[in-house]
Parts: sequence; structure tokens; C-alpha cells
Amino acid sequence: MAFKHIYFNEDICDGCGKCVEVCMCDAFERNPQKGKAPILKYPDECWFCGCCITHCPHKDEGAIHIITPFPMRGSFKR
Amino acid sequence: MSESNVNAVESDVLIIGGGLAGCMAAIKAAEGQGLKVTLVDKSNTVASGCAASGIDHVWSYIPPIHEKMGYSMDDMAEDHRQGTAFGFFRKDLFYLAAGSMYDRMLDLERFGIKFRYDDSPIPGRFRIVEQFHSVPTSFNFDGAPLKPTLTKQARKRGVTIINRVQMTDLLTRSGQVCGAVGVGTRNAEIYFFKAKAIVLSSGRSNRLSRNLTGFDFNTRMPSPMTGDGTSMAIRAGLPVVNIEFLSNILGLGPCGNYNPNYGDPRNTVQPAARIIDGQGNVIVPRTQFYDWDNLGKKKWTADMRRQWLEDRKAWRGGRAGLVQRAAAGEGPFYLDFSEATDAEIEYIEWSIKNEGKGAQFLRYFKGEEQADLRKNRQEYVGSWPREISGTAAKGLWVDKDLETDIQNLFAAGDEVGGLPWQASTGAFTQGWHAGEMAAKRAEKQKAFAAVDDEKVKICKNMCAEILGSRRGFHWREVETGIQNLMDFYCGNIRSEGLLKRGLERLQDAKTAPLKAENPHELGRCLDVKSIVDNAELVLRSSLERKESRPIPFGFRRADYPEQDDKNWKVFLAIQKAGDGPFKHTKLPTDG
Repeated sequence: MAFKHIYFNEDICDGCGKCVEVCMCDAFERNPQKGKAPILKYPDECWFCGCCITHCPHKDEGAIHIITPFPMRGSFKR
Repeated sequence: MSESNVNAVESDVLIIGGGLAGCMAAIKAAEGQGLKVTLVDKSNTVASGCAASGIDHVWSYIPPIHEKMGYSMDDMAEDHRQGTAFGFFRKDLFYLAAGSMYDRMLDLERFGIKFRYDDSPIPGRFRIVEQFHSVPTSFNFDGAPLKPTLTKQARKRGVTIINRVQMTDLLTRSGQVCGAVGVGTRNAEIYFFKAKAIVLSSGRSNRLSRNLTGFDFNTRMPSPMTGDGTSMAIRAGLPVVNIEFLSNILGLGPCGNYNPNYGDPRNTVQPAARIIDGQGNVIVPRTQFYDWDNLGKKKWTADMRRQWLEDRKAWRGGRAGLVQRAAAGEGPFYLDFSEATDAEIEYIEWSIKNEGKGAQFLRYFKGEEQADLRKNRQEYVGSWPREISGTAAKGLWVDKDLETDIQNLFAAGDEVGGLPWQASTGAFTQGWHAGEMAAKRAEKQKAFAAVDDEKVKICKNMCAEILGSRRGFHWREVETGIQNLMDFYCGNIRSEGLLKRGLERLQDAKTAPLKAENPHELGRCLDVKSIVDNAELVLRSSLERKESRPIPFGFRRADYPEQDDKNWKVFLAIQKAGDGPFKHTKLPTDG
């Protein structure tokens, strides 16, 4: 299933590569351009643990965010 | 053979798999006199294994609390045997886990993990909740930073950590382990490890079935874990038990598509969660916190166990029971927090944040959806994927000191079979013990054993073939094929005819040529090889176990619908000697 769910805020991410380093599924690749946000190369190999965000030094500024793919959205009563 | 891309690594102690068990083993082994300890992980130890993004509970015998209750470790063993392991129980493994976890908690506390809270009414200022036994035995704690913390401690003790290497084979000589082979998943280089002692702690196998969301890596437990240790152990001739118990938690999951691992009202979401139906009827009631103010006034009695066993029987069928109720037209069902107090909601959110994918789930639920635990009841939807897990006591058969039938090869955590729901307690305590034992062996052995590098050559050739292949299958094609096959032939209901046919069809997957365009894909091809091996063991052992055992293992044979304790309350071991046939052995439980 084609989808993309992890987004970088290019203004905040400094391409430090921490998420590339920690991702258990090795879903990211470093950007060949130094200082640029990583590339989400294998989105469909994500476990959705959120460690890319948890370990991000700029998480509080919103360097990375996940938009949960539609079929994974929870079912709950509004 | 060209040595250009073979990395030779010599270690006194080699640890395969850097989850909780592997990190604990490395930390303990590194206390040995001048020992070189190497820890290999297929991901990165700061965020790998079942505790990658945290855990919120760990069970233990807690002397300062349980002694006041008049509750002994023997009482706890009996609770675990009857109400949690349902007889599939090894006493020696239980006493190691229950009896040393309190000390490990103190170690973890020294490393910086928080276990004490000023607002707690419990002696020691712990947070302790009921989970697997008739009295509260689980520390509820800030487990989210476990992996970075343990990684730091291992490095501090001089452990060499090699990340992104997937192990493929153990090397043995005259019944003793002497090394292992692995492949770098970022560089496709071969790693040739020589070691005096090895701890195997690679964990579970989690990608054996399709996932209903369409995201096959959205498994309950981490998707990179593909049973590589089991695969290596079987090829080394070791027995693996209970692998037929492919799942123990058939049922539905709350807000299931995100697959947060907080389960049911007796788990992370206690005390204020309950299960209700569409009309608001309570199906599984909420729990209450233990009456800590009266600790020590009322002593534990066997009557408390009897009551607990009855309650447990009712809710053990609770989640699986939802499937049956849904089939009878009674759905939908919800996890409901509507009667929780503010303090309870705060407590539950803290717990969820520390457990598994909970932190990310809360970011989604509260952030993306602007939802609220109390206002928005979560539906139980979707079936949970099948997985080979330590909770069902799958694993290697080891002696009381965790040594396998291969000398100097130890196992720890989910790699060990024999104690259902040992979970993180098993990982912490067995990791530590296996690390200590492996270090002792390594200290005794002066020189490295001579190692035959035949398997290194085989591994190198295999990788070259996969990377050079033009006509092979992409790993995901073969993996999906195996998952479809397992779901059809080895699903909720199994039978001799279907299992045999499943084995026949698995041969196609075993011989399917794989291709990879880069080291990452090569790693996934190696995952698939482990998955094939694990699938074969599940099919074979399912065929051998001629009974059904729905509680707690969800094992159902259409042709043997009755539970048969007389013949089958046994650990069923499967093993293979060299190229010979597989053989099964029934090993006794202490149940």
C-alpha cells in the first residue's frame, strides 16, 4: 500500500541524523545534502513506535511529525 | 576466499540481540575480569526489541511488600503456575525470575530508571499493581528510557556495541559454541565472530501473519524481530519448545488499528478502564487499586487465590470471548474510561506513555484526533496478529543456569522457553544471569577454539547470490506468500490435512530465489529466511500436538478438539540433527 506518513519540518530539522540512527526498521536514509532532513525511504516498513520523534533533539519544536495513515486510524466514539 | 569484506571480531563473550535481555547480559558480563564483551543488534540498542519505546510494568517478588502481606514466593509460584502459565511452568525458571527481579530493579534504579514516587502510599514509594498474580506484584514505572539507559551503561563498562548486523549462524565445534556469523544490513559486509561464550537473546518472531490494517509491519511487537535466534538454534541442532502456540491473545484490540499494547482492563489501563457493549452493559468491570492503607493487617490466604483464579478465568475468556459475542451479533464493544477520576486518567496516561507504542498512540489520539480517553470510548476492532512469543513460553530448552545443549551457549529473555508471561522480568533476570554465567565460562577458557570458517563462506556466497540475482523474488513477495499460507493452513483452526498441505507449500517459499538491490533489502531477505524456518517449526509442531489448548494459548485443532492433559500437558520440543529429519520430544512441565 503506497503511503507516506512521516514528515519533516525543513525549517527546523538540521539533518543531524538521529532518527536515521535509531529507527529500528531502518526506514530512513540520510539526505546526501548535508544539513537537510532525512529521506523516508521505506515508509511501509515502519512499526509506528514513534522513536524517531522521541529521540529527535528538536522534537519540541516540531522537527518531525507523523500523520497516521487512514487505515490505521483508531475506531472510537466521538 | 577474499577477506576484503569479512570483519573478524574476537570477543570473550558475544551477545546476540541487544534488547532488554541482551543489554543486561552485556552489562553483567562486562564486570568479568578484563573480558572483551561484544553486543550485536540488528537494529540499534537504543531503540530495539520489545522495550524499544518503553515498558510500563515488570513483575517481581517484592520482599518488603509481600512479606507484610504474608505472601511467600512459593505462593506466588503457585499463582503463576495455575493462573498465568496454566501448568506450562518451569519452577527453576520461575524462582530465578521472581527471586532476583527485586535486585535487578535496584540495579535499574542505580542506572537512573525511576521506580519511586512521592505521591505513592506504598512502602518504598513504589507504584505496584495487580497483573499476573493474586496480589499486586507488578512495578508500574517510568520504563520509556530503558533502552537508552542500558545502552549507556553497557558502553560505560567497555562493551563493544555493533548495530545493524543480522546474525545468520552459530559456529560450534565438538558440542561447544565457538563463534557466529552475521551480515551488516547497511553495508552487506560479513561479520565473523569468534567467542568463548555466547548469549543468544534475539527474541520473538512477529511477522508470521498478515495484518488486517494492510500494514504488515504494524505488528503488536516489533516488526524487525523475525525469530533469527530460533532459526540459528534449530540449524545448530538445539531443541525449541512450545513453538506451536503461535498466539495466546486471539481476540480484539482496543482502538486496534494503532495496535497499542495496553490490552484490557487488567493491563496498562488499570484501574479505571472497563469493557462495555454498545448499550453500555459492562462486560468486563474495572479494577480497584489495592488497599495499601491496610497493608499487613489482612494476611494473604489460599481463599484469595481461589477467588482470583475464578475472576481470572472469567476475564481470561474476556477478550477472546468478545470474538464469540461478536459472532453472535452482540458487538460492537468498547474500552470505556467514562467513570474514571481526573487522577486516574492522569495515572493511566502516564502508564500508556511508558508502554510500547503508547507514547506515539497518545500523540495520535490526543493530538491528531483531539480525542479524550474519558469522552471517547475506544472500540475493540481487528484481530491481533499471530506471533511467536515468549509470553507463550516458546523458546530454547535450557538448564537451570540458562545453558543450552551446546556448551557455553546461553539463552535469555524471549529466547528461553518454559515460563509463560516471563516477559520483561525474564529478560532482566535471565539476561543478568546468562551474562554472569557466560563471563565465568569465558574466564576459565584461556584460548579461542579453532573455528571452521565453512559457514562464513556459505553466508558470503548466499549474500552474493541474493545481491547479484536478476530474476529472484523481492523479499516482500515471499514474505506475503508465507503469511498468506500461515493464515490459511495454520490459523485459528488447524487440522492434520491442512497442516500437511501447508508444509508442502512452504517448500516453494523455502526454495524461492530472493533478490536484493542493496544491503537493506539483503537484510529483509535474511528476515524472510528466518520467517520460513520459524513457519516450518510452527507447522510441524502444530501437526505433532494432537489436542486443543485454547486457554491460554489459543491452540485449536479441528481434528482434536479436546484438551488432553494426560498426554499433552508437556513442553513439546522440536529439533533437527544435521540434515536428518525433525524429531519431537515431550518434556515435562512442573505443572
